[in-house]
Amino acid sequence: MLLSSVDTACRRAETSSEVGVPPGRWRLARGGHSLLIDKRDLVVTLLLLLGLLAASAAYLALGSVTLGPGELLAGLIGGGDPMAVFLVQELRLPRLVAAWLTGAAFAVAGCLMQTLARNRLATPGIIGIDNGATAFAVASVVGLGVSLAPPAMALAGAATAAALTFGLASGGDTRGYRFIVAGIGVGAVFGAVTQLLLARVAIDTANAAYPWTVGTLNARSGQAVTVLAIGLAVGLPLALALARSLNLMRFSDAVASGLGVMLRRRRWQVLSLSVLLTGLAVAVAGPVGLVGLVGPEIARSLASRRGVPILASALAGALVMVLADLAGRLLLAPIELPVGIVTAIVGGPWLLWILLRPAAKSLA
Amino acid sequence: MTARVLSHRGLPEGLGRPLIGLGLLLALAALGSLLLGAGEVTPARALAVLAGGGDDEARFVVGSLRLPRTLVGAAVGLALGVAGALLQAVSRNPLAEPGLLGVSAGAAFAVALALWLGASAATLRVAVAQLGALAGCLCVLGVARLRGLGNDPVRLVLAGAAFSALLAALTSLLLLFDQRAADEIRFWVIGSLSGRRLEDLLAVLPSLALALTITVLVARPLAALALGERVASGLGHRPGRVRGLVVLAVALLVGAATAIAGPIAFVGLVVPFAARALAGPDIRRTLWLCLPLGPLMVITADIVSRLLVAPSELSLGVLTALCGAPVLVAVVRARRLPTL
Amino acid sequence: MSPSALPRRPFAGLVLLLGLATGQSALATTVKTAHGPVEVGDDPQRVVTLYEGALDAALASGVVPLGAVTTRGGDGVAGYIDDYLAAHHPDAALAIVGVVREINLEAVLAQRPDLILAPPQLADEQYALLSRIAPTVVPLSQGLDPQAWKAESRLYGQALGREAQMETALAEVESRAHELAAALDEAEVSGDASLVRWMPQGPLVMSDQLFTTGLMQAAGLTINDAGLIPGESAHSDPLSLENLGRVDSDWLFLATLNADGQEALEAARTSPAFARLEAVANDRVVAVDGQLWTSASGPLAAQAVLDDIEAALLPR
Repeated sequence: MLLSSVDTACRRAETSSEVGVPPGRWRLARGGHSLLIDKRDLVVTLLLLLGLLAASAAYLALGSVTLGPGELLAGLIGGGDPMAVFLVQELRLPRLVAAWLTGAAFAVAGCLMQTLARNRLATPGIIGIDNGATAFAVASVVGLGVSLAPPAMALAGAATAAALTFGLASGGDTRGYRFIVAGIGVGAVFGAVTQLLLARVAIDTANAAYPWTVGTLNARSGQAVTVLAIGLAVGLPLALALARSLNLMRFSDAVASGLGVMLRRRRWQVLSLSVLLTGLAVAVAGPVGLVGLVGPEIARSLASRRGVPILASALAGALVMVLADLAGRLLLAPIELPVGIVTAIVGGPWLLWILLRPAAKSLA
Repeated sequence: MTARVLSHRGLPEGLGRPLIGLGLLLALAALGSLLLGAGEVTPARALAVLAGGGDDEARFVVGSLRLPRTLVGAAVGLALGVAGALLQAVSRNPLAEPGLLGVSAGAAFAVALALWLGASAATLRVAVAQLGALAGCLCVLGVARLRGLGNDPVRLVLAGAAFSALLAALTSLLLLFDQRAADEIRFWVIGSLSGRRLEDLLAVLPSLALALTITVLVARPLAALALGERVASGLGHRPGRVRGLVVLAVALLVGAATAIAGPIAFVGLVVPFAARALAGPDIRRTLWLCLPLGPLMVITADIVSRLLVAPSELSLGVLTALCGAPVLVAVVRARRLPTL
Repeated sequence: MSPSALPRRPFAGLVLLLGLATGQSALATTVKTAHGPVEVGDDPQRVVTLYEGALDAALASGVVPLGAVTTRGGDGVAGYIDDYLAAHHPDAALAIVGVVREINLEAVLAQRPDLILAPPQLADEQYALLSRIAPTVVPLSQGLDPQAWKAESRLYGQALGREAQMETALAEVESRAHELAAALDEAEVSGDASLVRWMPQGPLVMSDQLFTTGLMQAAGLTINDAGLIPGESAHSDPLSLENLGRVDSDWLFLATLNADGQEALEAARTSPAFARLEAVANDRVVAVDGQLWTSASGPLAAQAVLDDIEAALLPR
């Protein structure tokens, strides 16, 4: 990602002088193919990347134990105080990677669904895909005779909720409205089930299930992170490819079909990808759904209006997740705030702002 | 009371038969609610009490436990059913349901806040939950009004879902700091009628009465509003004031119901849905049918909740969520989302 | 604990860090944990407890840990622990290393522990990290068993190298319970008893397989859980008020997570079904502190529970 951006930047000089390129864009040519790159998008991507790197450095350095630049570097290379090495390499780095990946996955999933529904609120977290994951994970923790580990159960739950929603919403409209409402209904049922499960067990068991009800990055499953990394490696290029069609779908349905987009198929592809990424991310961190709302919001407010800001959303989501988890570790030390709660506190007012903003500015 | 006031304006045509039928069903459900329970008092023993005799134990169970919860259930069902019908009429949105719009989440947050501040669920004042539900209701409807979301059914629901997510997160935050609240609220967030007393009902009776009076007053202007703002203005109604009154009535009704029974999902969706199916979209007709339908649904669900896992009891909120979700899906699966 | 730079003590504690403990096996004892045999140092100095039962056990065997998690519903350790510390170790400074729900791994690491005593419910992911900071002792989860706390305490005692002290502490609890049972018999106040948590929709009946109900039995009371507890659960679903008579025992113990059990009692009294109970009519309802009665375990907690029973049933 980083390399391709730099690569693009390097070609700027050669390509920008060519004729037939719309203002504000660069043409990128390689062999027989050419690609138009939006200047503003490029700058935004680089800025977000820079911000993410800075936030990550702070994430590695700060915490219950604070490391200076020298100690941090020594910890990263593996020299110096074994405790610092352990702190950086075993505690903070894996958690940072989990934050990057989950943030990016939630945000890309949110961006896809928002664009499809032409509604900023339509994200997998809001419509209740998370609830399915939570219900299944909680069922696994409170021991309903299920042998699967909670992360696997969370994924199964997200898949079940999504499958139910798809089934119930079949043959719907192109914007996925039916999908959204069916999702909210399915989510409500799973929410009730979770509450019932939590009310029936002893408080110690309810405590053990707690991370799955709020979302946290504290000591997450390494396997789930690996699976998410693979999913993101496949899903991100797919999302970028879908973004072009999505861009056309932002116009009315009639215009879009006039442009030759196979609406129905695209819709299912977009929803499936969105749900898959959310499910994989929930399996790692639990329901941190608001990142799927906030990440794309940031990306949209920065990026140009021309395209669907998939890449910028991914970076912004990762950035939000890193900063939120860092804040959660620092604010009330030595007690850690789960990242899901921090994102909710930050994302909540944001959400209200979106809701209260004049309708003219809404995503349409 | 409502029935009498409404009858001055005459019962809408063709509603007599469905109303009598539903009334009979409701009477049957109420009788069942008095006769059936999770305990050892059998229907026969309970019947003896109703006949004026019966043993001490049975008299206590029927009179002090089953009768109050039947009455509370009727009040809750009535309030939620009417609130749903009003909300759907004023937002012209078949999906507008108090629970879906975040009102329950508002109440739960208020309760968590009160617990955190030192109350205990056992001693919790009804007023807290009522205030929370009220604030939640006003919040979502205020947003909806500001944004003019009424024309887009899904947007209003999404706004409600987002609002619920926000409040749920704030509730989790409080619970992280307070394990005692966490332990108690596990039981509060699933609505139930068990252990409710007539005193609880009396506490919310004033708000219920006020809300129903408002309902009677706005039914006709609301029906005119359904024909369009101009028509309503032409008939001498003021659309802005009508909407404001409806929102107030809804907040009072939902607040009262949530305060005595906890969050009970989907009643406000299912009852008006059924009423419209029976009587058509006119709000004056729908409201009439909501009067018996709401109590019927809640009381029936409550009976089931007592019998399924006897000698313990299942939570009413879970049951209504389970039967409400299919209706929600049925509403969206209707060919196109109907605008009311 | 304030965020600070790493203390510069290159060797202290670090020998055990990062799994280097294997080099020390000559000095180590092996304890059997839920995650297999774990080698611990002979005389651990820097102990962190992540479980109320472990903190209790450590104190009972004479070890003051460096760090502990908070008790439920508080931002510090449980009240009875505070009392004990004030009485026996007034200089002790316990660092808080998180809440039961969220253990702060960095705060644990910052203590540079040489032994970590963890709860039976520790998540595998947490164990994977903690066990690399220091030998981590996780008791085998035995499900519900009123005697499970003794096995846990013994394991912690063994890991601390204080088996003898732990046996003494456990024996003291046992003899205390015997004395109390005899005294209750003599005063003719023994009988059956139920432990419930009062919720507005009905009471939760606590299982007879818990730490506290086990102690009540040891003190000669018979636990009546009305046969309501499903499977391995710690308590019943909210009991229908119609069936409240089933827990109408000689003694009714009423627990709440409020420090003040009295409030729960007042709330329960407003329910007509509760007011009809024999135990209520005979004034045999005992309001107890839920923090101690439904959350704690260990020899010190056992003594505190027995104190509560004695104070309630044998008023002076």
